[in-house]
Amino acid sequence: MNTAENKRSVFVGIFVLISIAILVAGIFTLGGQQNRFEETIRLKAAFDDVEGLRKGNNVWFSGIKVGNVREIRFNEGSLNGGPQLEVVMHIEQGAQKYIRKDARVKLSSDGLIGNRILTITGGSTAAPAVEDGDLLATETGLSTDDMMATLQENNENLVSITNNLKELTSSLNEGEGTAGALLKDTQMADNFRATINDLQQVASNTVRATGALTQFTSKLNSSEGLANQLLTDTVVFSQLKTSAEQLQETLSAAEIMTKNLTEASNKVLTTNNGIGILLNDEQFGTQLKNTMQNLETSTEKLDENMEALQHNFLFRGFFRKRAKEEARQQQ
Amino acid sequence: MKSGSVVISKRIDKFFLKLNDIYLFVLRFFKEAFLPPYEFREVVNQCYELGVRSLPLISVTGFIIGIVFTNQSRPSLAEFGATSWLPALMAVAIIRALAPLVTALIASGRVASKIGAEIGSMKVSEQIDAMEVSAIKPFRFLVVTRVLATTLMIPALTIYTAFVSLLGSFININQREETSIITFFEQVFEAITYLDVFSSIIKAFFFGFTIGIVGCYKGYTSSNGTQGVGKAANTSVVIAMFLIFVEELLAMQIINAIRFQ
Repeated sequence: MNTAENKRSVFVGIFVLISIAILVAGIFTLGGQQNRFEETIRLKAAFDDVEGLRKGNNVWFSGIKVGNVREIRFNEGSLNGGPQLEVVMHIEQGAQKYIRKDARVKLSSDGLIGNRILTITGGSTAAPAVEDGDLLATETGLSTDDMMATLQENNENLVSITNNLKELTSSLNEGEGTAGALLKDTQMADNFRATINDLQQVASNTVRATGALTQFTSKLNSSEGLANQLLTDTVVFSQLKTSAEQLQETLSAAEIMTKNLTEASNKVLTTNNGIGILLNDEQFGTQLKNTMQNLETSTEKLDENMEALQHNFLFRGFFRKRAKEEARQQQ
Repeated sequence: MKSGSVVISKRIDKFFLKLNDIYLFVLRFFKEAFLPPYEFREVVNQCYELGVRSLPLISVTGFIIGIVFTNQSRPSLAEFGATSWLPALMAVAIIRALAPLVTALIASGRVASKIGAEIGSMKVSEQIDAMEVSAIKPFRFLVVTRVLATTLMIPALTIYTAFVSLLGSFININQREETSIITFFEQVFEAITYLDVFSSIIKAFFFGFTIGIVGCYKGYTSSNGTQGVGKAANTSVVIAMFLIFVEELLAMQIINAIRFQ
């Protein structure tokens, strides 16, 4: 056997050894991943529907992998009304003390499109730790079918909404209703524009008024303002007080006067006094009228008598004399 | 002039005769392989020539395949926002199919042609007859050793290819997704099962046997001088590759039947 052949043998040996080492390392890693070489306990859970869960799928507890599904079989208890399927899980012994007897098993998914997994959740510290062969309670999660059903409902709502929207837009397009008229009616648009302009005007007026009001209030607040003087100047206050008192007295006097006037007017309305008779007694009025007519007639006749007296020779001289004096005074 | 039916009949006869020939060749291999004396030294020599010497080529090819397949698979997964699944995808692809198939195809090109040409040239130059005359059993020395070497070396090369391809895949994923080596291999071993690993190794044994037996048969039955040697080398590669694909198809069906039973 020469050296070259020995060398070849060594190379082949190394090559084969390395490949076997890689294979063995791979097998052990794989076994470690699948808990093949670890002590495990068996836990059971019963479901009506495992939704595609398969043998070998992972079991998670508090978000970490603690085992895997070893068996899925039909549950004999289902004949008596129990759940249809029984799932047997192998759980690492290290996790046993943390999983309580009242923990619940739920079907879940490794991501949105991931594999099915079982998750163990809950469990109170008061309950003892699980033991080999325990049957854990199950919890029904939200399945894909449930999600699809909700989605379907949403779709129907969406269809209804779009139909409403379609009707609404067609109404708007045809100019129906206030909104439609607003969009389609040109006159309304003009009115609207005018209204907006007016509103703009009002707004600018309001701005001006607010400015003036601000100015006014600032004046009110200034030391020279009336309000300020009213509040601070004691002389003005005492004068105002006096004026108010005088006003009060005047008002009292006016009240008395009004009262007297009322009484007087009341008396006037009655016929038991002179003014009352003069104003209210119709018969007296007629008599007074007749008297006045008689008086007028008498006055006319007296006037005629006086005229006749002027031409009387006894008084003619007196009147001529007065006429001359008047003429002289005018000159 | 021969009629068409006669030609077809003769061809069918020839095909079945050849099939019988191959059957007898394979049977002879098993007979010679399990009966002493054993040619261990020659088997080791052939393991070195056919296996160890293929290592650089296989390593480079495997590494490149790991990078290329990872890179080409990324856009499809990115559409679902699932690029974090690349290690799992590549693990399944490499361990289940790529590693044994690529190793076998590369080996077909390199090893089957080499065996075909080597034995073919010995055949046409009457070296095999000379061996028989000198009391060396040529079939045991030439065929059995080579077929055993390929049968043993292809699975070993497959393991290398898988490892190197995963390394290439990791480098690509690490560059793009910044996934750590621990996370990468965690996901790789999460995705594969014992069935995947052992089925690939068993498949590789069959591929190795096929490569060896095809190369040896074509070389051992070559004729027509140097032209026959070239033909033996060429047909060895073609037939070996074809048979590897057929075997892959059959293996996939059988493994899936076991997986989903």
